[in-house]
Amino acid sequence: MIKKLFFCLSLTSLSPLALATGSSLVATGGITSFEGTAGGGITPWAMIAGYGSKEEIHGTGALQQLDLGEYQLRTVGAAIGFYDRVELSVQRQNLKVESGIVSNVFNLLTDGAVNTAPGTDIEQDIIGLKVKVFGDAVFDQNSPWPQVSVGAQYKKNRDFDTSLPLSDGSVPLPDTGVPQLLGATEDAGTDFYVSASKLWLGGAWGNNVLANVTARMTKANTFGLLGFESAADDGYELEWEGSVALLPSPSTAVGIEWRTQTNRLGGLAEEKTVTDLFIAYFPNKHWSLTAAYVDLGNLPFDQKASGLYLSATVNL
Amino acid sequence: MKYLRTSLILIVTLLAGCAGKPEPGLYEEIGGSETLSKVFGLSINRIYNDPVLGPHFEGVPKSHLRKMLTEQTCALIGGPCEYTGKGMRESHQERNVTEAEFYRLVEHVQQAMRLIGLSFEQENRILAALAPLKEDIIYQAR
Repeated sequence: MIKKLFFCLSLTSLSPLALATGSSLVATGGITSFEGTAGGGITPWAMIAGYGSKEEIHGTGALQQLDLGEYQLRTVGAAIGFYDRVELSVQRQNLKVESGIVSNVFNLLTDGAVNTAPGTDIEQDIIGLKVKVFGDAVFDQNSPWPQVSVGAQYKKNRDFDTSLPLSDGSVPLPDTGVPQLLGATEDAGTDFYVSASKLWLGGAWGNNVLANVTARMTKANTFGLLGFESAADDGYELEWEGSVALLPSPSTAVGIEWRTQTNRLGGLAEEKTVTDLFIAYFPNKHWSLTAAYVDLGNLPFDQKASGLYLSATVNL
Repeated sequence: MKYLRTSLILIVTLLAGCAGKPEPGLYEEIGGSETLSKVFGLSINRIYNDPVLGPHFEGVPKSHLRKMLTEQTCALIGGPCEYTGKGMRESHQERNVTEAEFYRLVEHVQQAMRLIGLSFEQENRILAALAPLKEDIIYQAR
């Protein structure tokens, strides 16, 4: 009896069929990027969020955290995939800036007259839309064509003009937030992107290989967390992003990613190419967990902005 | 835009080299048609007992389906077989197979390969040969 029960239990845990998530195969939906879009950790993929098939609507909820020492980025959001064709997502990002960084900013602005100030938060909301154009990243194994999607991310920085108080509560620069201090001229912007993704079943010594390339038109400074545009440059720039992953087991993916940035503001807010090294674990179709080492290159007063990234996605 | 087009062409050219080649030695490595027949015997039992998929196969003798799937897979992975069954489009015209049902079936076959003891690497290479059949299986009814 116990043996039989154990057998049934082990069958249930093997079989994703009993679950209420969508129908498509485990890990094929990727994870959720820190901008709320289904993809890798720092870039969208052409896959539509959730495990829904052509006939189904499914969604995901996700949390991400990137710990960079004096900066901490915490993000939360949800996405819905409609009929494996359209993805809608919402995301709230919160960049916590420690007192040491803000103090450095004031120190610089006042030539050393003010050298301590409390920390601050920069929040941003992102609404994303993605539409699959053509292709099947997983099943078109006899075709060289990837799955291709186009998307847009509307981003609104909520702290563009949130002024920074000093320790005594006084506000030396009213209605001027960190993005403005660093030279950004707009509080919102819309990114447009094209993503191409392809999985090779058994592509590397029998292991599955996934590759993605994204081209993005953007006006954002450091993803929009430092605002949009600048006095000298208010136009769109083309940036490139990519992911390559190896899936050595049905539940594991390891890979690398990169993402170029415009560096419109320069100076303190100089932007460099972002890179990461990740490992994702998909125990079943209910949830996944990703750990990564992310190197942002530079943030104001942190020229080695890198640290541990954790991301959890729940599939509904 | 020009860069985008150039990169797309480059990517497609790179990828074209990897697409859809039969896997040398895979058939022998997994133990030939004997293993495939075990895999499909188990898959078919699971599929016929599946409340969603079972009704699709009413009136199809298990032994016939098992023989056809074994033959077809053997041929697709480079084995010494000739597939004598109907084409996929023809054999799926009676009733529309949804994408969700197709994925469900694939999962049964994956589970069967694991239970029979094929390695993940062998499973992936077999699936790569079978995957292109998808477009000829789903939504074929007229």
